[in-house]
Amino acid sequence: MRTAFVETLYEEALRDPRIFFITSDFWHVKEEEFRALGARYQNGGMAEQNIISLAVGAALSGKKVFVYSIVPFITLRCIEQVKVDVCSHEADVTIVGGGAGFTYGTCGITHLAIEDIAMMRSLPHMRIISPSGSAEASALLRETIRLGGPTYFRLNMREDGDLTSMKPEVGKGMIVREGVDVCIIATGTILAEAFGVADMLAEKGISVEVVNMHTIKPLDEGLVRERVRSRRAVCTLEEHSIIGGLGGAVAEVFAESGGTARFRRFGIKDAWPTVVGSQKYLRTVTGISQEYLAVAIEKLLQ
Amino acid sequence: MENLAAIAKQCRQKVLEMAYAAKDSHIGCALSSVDVLVLLFFRVMNVNPEDPRFSERDRFILSKGHAAAALYAVMSARGFFPREALATFAQNGSELASHVERKLPGVETNGGSGGHGLSIGAGMALAAQADGANYRIFILMGDGELQEGSVWEAAMFASSRNLSNLTLIVDRNGFQTWNKVDDIVAVESLVEKFRAFGWDADEVNGHDFERLGSVIERTGDRPHAIIARTVKGKGVSFMEGDGVWHSKSMSDEHYHRAMKEVQS
Repeated sequence: MRTAFVETLYEEALRDPRIFFITSDFWHVKEEEFRALGARYQNGGMAEQNIISLAVGAALSGKKVFVYSIVPFITLRCIEQVKVDVCSHEADVTIVGGGAGFTYGTCGITHLAIEDIAMMRSLPHMRIISPSGSAEASALLRETIRLGGPTYFRLNMREDGDLTSMKPEVGKGMIVREGVDVCIIATGTILAEAFGVADMLAEKGISVEVVNMHTIKPLDEGLVRERVRSRRAVCTLEEHSIIGGLGGAVAEVFAESGGTARFRRFGIKDAWPTVVGSQKYLRTVTGISQEYLAVAIEKLLQ
Repeated sequence: MENLAAIAKQCRQKVLEMAYAAKDSHIGCALSSVDVLVLLFFRVMNVNPEDPRFSERDRFILSKGHAAAALYAVMSARGFFPREALATFAQNGSELASHVERKLPGVETNGGSGGHGLSIGAGMALAAQADGANYRIFILMGDGELQEGSVWEAAMFASSRNLSNLTLIVDRNGFQTWNKVDDIVAVESLVEKFRAFGWDADEVNGHDFERLGSVIERTGDRPHAIIARTVKGKGVSFMEGDGVWHSKSMSDEHYHRAMKEVQS
């Protein structure tokens, strides 16, 4: 996903001289090509607070600025700069975080990225995008460049191809699998687990709809309101804390909707894993793998 | 320079009026900045109140956002907006906070949290270099702000990119909130620190228009830090050098005494 994102950004940068790209020493894809853009490409070193505000200074001078680092460093480390400088100026700055969720699962809690959506969601003017695949990331990037304004892109680092070939639109949930009993609303590459659950439950006669909610803010509230009225159960699924992320956002809409569906957030409980491991391994131990989800959803319907 | 002193006098009165009407404070730190701001807006910077956002303008960032009253008083005197625009400053229902905001014509940035301005200025300087533009970027920072680590991240970046279009002025009034900066966490020696970070650096009296002006006009091939030694509460004898006026608001008696002094 990251490679596709970078290639698209580079193509757009060749077309649009306003595009600037600032990294904090975590970028080794197409680096030579970006260097050839001169001052428009900057490796700002290990200084995330400075990088965010630098981006804003350039954006206030008419540039469209992209900043990149690993999720925890480019979100939580500099959250006050994101609030005061990016959001309060409504600056045309896109923060690109690599390593969503458990991508760096063997590195320990410094590198886990399971609080970022909650932090970013609380900031006025911030758009949050969490693609499930490469082509989707590229398409959403192009739309973001056109729309402008503060944006947070949450990328998985793996080269995991695409789970859907549908064309995404910022702010619109995508129905990527039809179903009538249960609606699973997922974000990011964990969408793959939702497809797996749908297959497993289909064998038991339960029809599962899967929604790819690649835009977490602004949330497609209309879609959520409709589903919590029309489905027996609605679940959210994310590789993020169950506090404040996609599950929190959907729960807030649900609670005020008059909907009657049974509801459950699937995500990381309010704790860091006590063990390390691959992304797949940690999904299993934290209860967001398809095997666990299928059982939990079946119970929810009883 | 006599003219500048007269303007500064008017601006000090305006600062007191605004703080008194709002029962607000941040008076001492606004008064220490007035002379620097008058010099920048009336003598040094290429600005145009009729067209506040023209592309070749020099940029000014108030990193010590709590001195907004001083900036607004000076920009209003320079003609960016009428004095009436400041009538509700920091009062109930006003859109104007006591910390600087981009809502008024010609104000470049929002601020009020320490240690942001230099990084934003460096971003503007980078954009100007990329565009081959000749405008300059000025930042006014408080000395307490120098305790923020982000300032030094920006300082390293600016010199490593030779951002010679960037000028940082430190309002070295010696106080942060109620206490002396160097009694809390010492920031000296500033000239040596900035030089060690690859900057040109000078220290001058921040109330001496002549000397400060000649130092500000000087440009080289590196970013330039000017440590402007100032007096917190400058112009009001009972506020000078007393940190309490960072957060104390004036009684009627204080106000009348203070006004009398700045008018004389």
